[in-house]
Amino acid sequence: MADVKVKKESDPADVAAIETRSKIKELCQQFPHGITDQVIQNDMPHLEAQQRAMVLNKLLSLGHLDLLKNSSGLLYRMKDAQSASKMKGSDNQEKLVYQIIEDAGNKGIWTRDIRFKCNLPLTEVNKILKNLESKKLIKAVKSVAASKKKVYMLYNVQPDRSVTGGAWYSDQDFESEFVEVLNQQCFKFLQSKAEVARDSKQSPMIQRNSSFATSHEVWKYICELGISKVDLSMEDIETILSTLIYDGKVEMTIIAAKEGTVGSVDGQMKLYRGVNPVIQPTGLVKTPCGLCPVFDECHEGGEISPSRCIYMTEWLNF
Amino acid sequence: MHRGRSSAHWKQRAEVRQVTMTAQEARLCGLLLREHFGEVVERVGTHLLRSGAQNLRTVANESGTPLDLVKKSLCVLMKHGACSFRAGRKGPGSPVEYRASCERILLILRYPRYIYTAKTLYGDTGELVVEELLQRGHMTMSSIVKTVADRLTHNMEEGRRVEYSEVVSTFSKLVETHFLQRCPPVSEAVPAASTAPMIPGSGPASSGPAASAPPTAESFPDCYTVPHVSLVGWGKRRRSGEDAAEEQGVSKKAKTDEQTHGDEGVYWQVNFERFHLHFRDQTIISAVASKLDQTSSEIVRTMLRMSEVTTPPSASCTQALSANEIFRSLPANYSISRPILDQYLTLLVDDPMEFVGKSGDSGGGMYVVNLHRALTNLARATLESVVQERFGSRSARIFRLLLRKHHLEQKQVEDFAMIPAKEAKDMLYTLLSENLVHLQEIPKTPDHAPSRTFYLYTVNQLATARMLLQHCYKTVANLIDRRLFETKESKRLLEKSQRIEAIMASLQASGAEPEQLTEVEEMITAPEKQQLESLRHHINKLDSAENQVDETVFLLKAYVNSTAKATQ
Ligand code: SF4
Repeated sequence: MADVKVKKESDPADVAAIETRSKIKELCQQFPHGITDQVIQNDMPHLEAQQRAMVLNKLLSLGHLDLLKNSSGLLYRMKDAQSASKMKGSDNQEKLVYQIIEDAGNKGIWTRDIRFKCNLPLTEVNKILKNLESKKLIKAVKSVAASKKKVYMLYNVQPDRSVTGGAWYSDQDFESEFVEVLNQQCFKFLQSKAEVARDSKQSPMIQRNSSFATSHEVWKYICELGISKVDLSMEDIETILSTLIYDGKVEMTIIAAKEGTVGSVDGQMKLYRGVNPVIQPTGLVKTPCGLCPVFDECHEGGEISPSRCIYMTEWLNF
Repeated sequence: MHRGRSSAHWKQRAEVRQVTMTAQEARLCGLLLREHFGEVVERVGTHLLRSGAQNLRTVANESGTPLDLVKKSLCVLMKHGACSFRAGRKGPGSPVEYRASCERILLILRYPRYIYTAKTLYGDTGELVVEELLQRGHMTMSSIVKTVADRLTHNMEEGRRVEYSEVVSTFSKLVETHFLQRCPPVSEAVPAASTAPMIPGSGPASSGPAASAPPTAESFPDCYTVPHVSLVGWGKRRRSGEDAAEEQGVSKKAKTDEQTHGDEGVYWQVNFERFHLHFRDQTIISAVASKLDQTSSEIVRTMLRMSEVTTPPSASCTQALSANEIFRSLPANYSISRPILDQYLTLLVDDPMEFVGKSGDSGGGMYVVNLHRALTNLARATLESVVQERFGSRSARIFRLLLRKHHLEQKQVEDFAMIPAKEAKDMLYTLLSENLVHLQEIPKTPDHAPSRTFYLYTVNQLATARMLLQHCYKTVANLIDRRLFETKESKRLLEKSQRIEAIMASLQASGAEPEQLTEVEEMITAPEKQQLESLRHHINKLDSAENQVDETVFLLKAYVNSTAKATQ
């Protein structure tokens, strides 16, 4: 976690760590079948064991290295040699900036922090960023957390929810219509399921049970519909299904499920079903007064009154 | 942040409402009294409602009404149970005091529903019995039987007639099922010197302390006993002269009849409580049908019918019934097997509306109908429906969310309801300003600094129901006002058409030529006809809207009363 602490100032130790990391990666590239801890120790004798472990852990967590086990002990092996080849022709500064951005993972990092980390002048950083962007090695993503704030991450990284706001945001805007479309589609799915169950003329218990759909089923249905440009997770769909519960159209039951059942989480499964309304709109709202925007201002003999009310007139002539 | 109305403020307002009559209730009572009993009774009635208990002279002075008119008005009100009297508070010998009942007057609004229900349950005869009783307040059995038999006979083809015994049998059934009851006998303890009009059945004044409530009808053992009457005969046809008088609303005094039937002094009244239980049950049954299905509702209907006698009116759930008993009592044409019944019962118990609960395992499972919870959940659905229709489905989503999760910050509302911040804020603000949701401030520090305070949105179901009840009263009053206005606007035309109809009737009776009839008929011009037509349409629409709003009133009121009982 040393990286996080030194974010604000450019710590020489930080720069050193990044250099160590590229050295280890180079070493791995030289030995595509993997290297042992001993090899690294031999190559970098001045590196302290604790620091070495830290750098290796970082590389493993970033997914750059694989940890293998063979007869001689643990082996570190390069996971993907691609990025290295992309970086061909780049100078060291560019490599450094790339590395910093890569470290930021799917949360991204903003220009100011890059500058602090690499200790280069702002104009230089901007130039490098532009360069990397044009090579499609990195991309800029707008963050929902603060408008106008751009963060950089590797080109093929899927931005974190905290940056994009999740599936419901596009370019920082909450996609209200998208949510409503999904809300309607999910309901349609559950409704037709309930209808089929009703028409089956089975016993009441079977009817009820076959009107249930798991969140996984709804998720699959929505994915297959192909109405979403972004990938939706099962949790995303459960969020939508909850809005249907608050719409009073759907009910949810949680049941225990065997570990490993499709759609179960922590041994539980959520079941949803479309339900009928329990009452028709109540009598009050069938009158103009029940919907009247000036209800409180209305008095017989006043400026607004039942005798002269235009809402009443309209409703009576309807 | 909106800090307009804290919930404490809200609660206070709600409590004040509970004890005193609101302006909306007073206005509606006035309109109902005027429509049914005329302006003098309206003046005396509304005065009494506003003033609380008063003696005869004070009522006359303060309402500016001559003493004899006040007496007559009080008579009318007492006959209908809308007014009670009791010994003066200032000790023995002080003048009797009168008190009007707002609750009872508001029931006038429901008369069409009582009558309609009697018709559905006991046919035309039941309808007329209840209608007569509602119109006159109280009557003896023999006079009801005669009046109803006459009316039925009159509406039949020439040569057919209704026997008294038929009406007696329907009457007895209505008493047996407690829809009718005897008026409580008048106590003799009222000071004889009092100039009080004494009306049997108006609730006796107790001789005890002035504060004691008048005894209820049911506290008398004979409440549901039908007396033996010697009534043989059949309904008589009215002559056309009487007919016209009747039609024009001139209420004729019941003919004094020299014959005695052996039930003199035993007066009957409509048992509103019993009708209300029936309405409650019907509401629950139709909600089950709507949410689940027909068979489920039939099962609940059976359970309610079985426990009608054994469950006290104020109970929060019915007596427990075993699945075996329920199975045996299902209507014969409902051929479902025992295992299927069990499935239905399980599904009813599982349903989140909680209509039915399981109370034990003996007898194949013991089940109850959760009366109080059903009313609570139906009232909640009613509130939701108001928000839905008035503010749209997304505001309703927020409202339901708050009903279920109780206390939420604005951010949480946005996230759960999936509504963008700005819209959610607008909706919450609108709901807040309409008093449908409330904002609770929970300071983290004693200085109540806004930056260190939680603002939690919440819905208080009971307070909201009470508020909507007031909205209903105001709405009905508005509808009545509009109806009176529409009628007044076309007064001349209405009078003309009535005159012409009368002429037509008498011409027809005297066997006039068809040409003569068309000539008279054409005195109403085509545009006038159209105007009459649209007036009729308007009046019908307003009438049925009044009845529909009363259904909302009934449900909300039943919920409020049931909650009061549950928390006692
Ligand atoms: S009468 Fe008209 S103005 Fe008055 S409350 Fe009703 S709809 Fe509104």
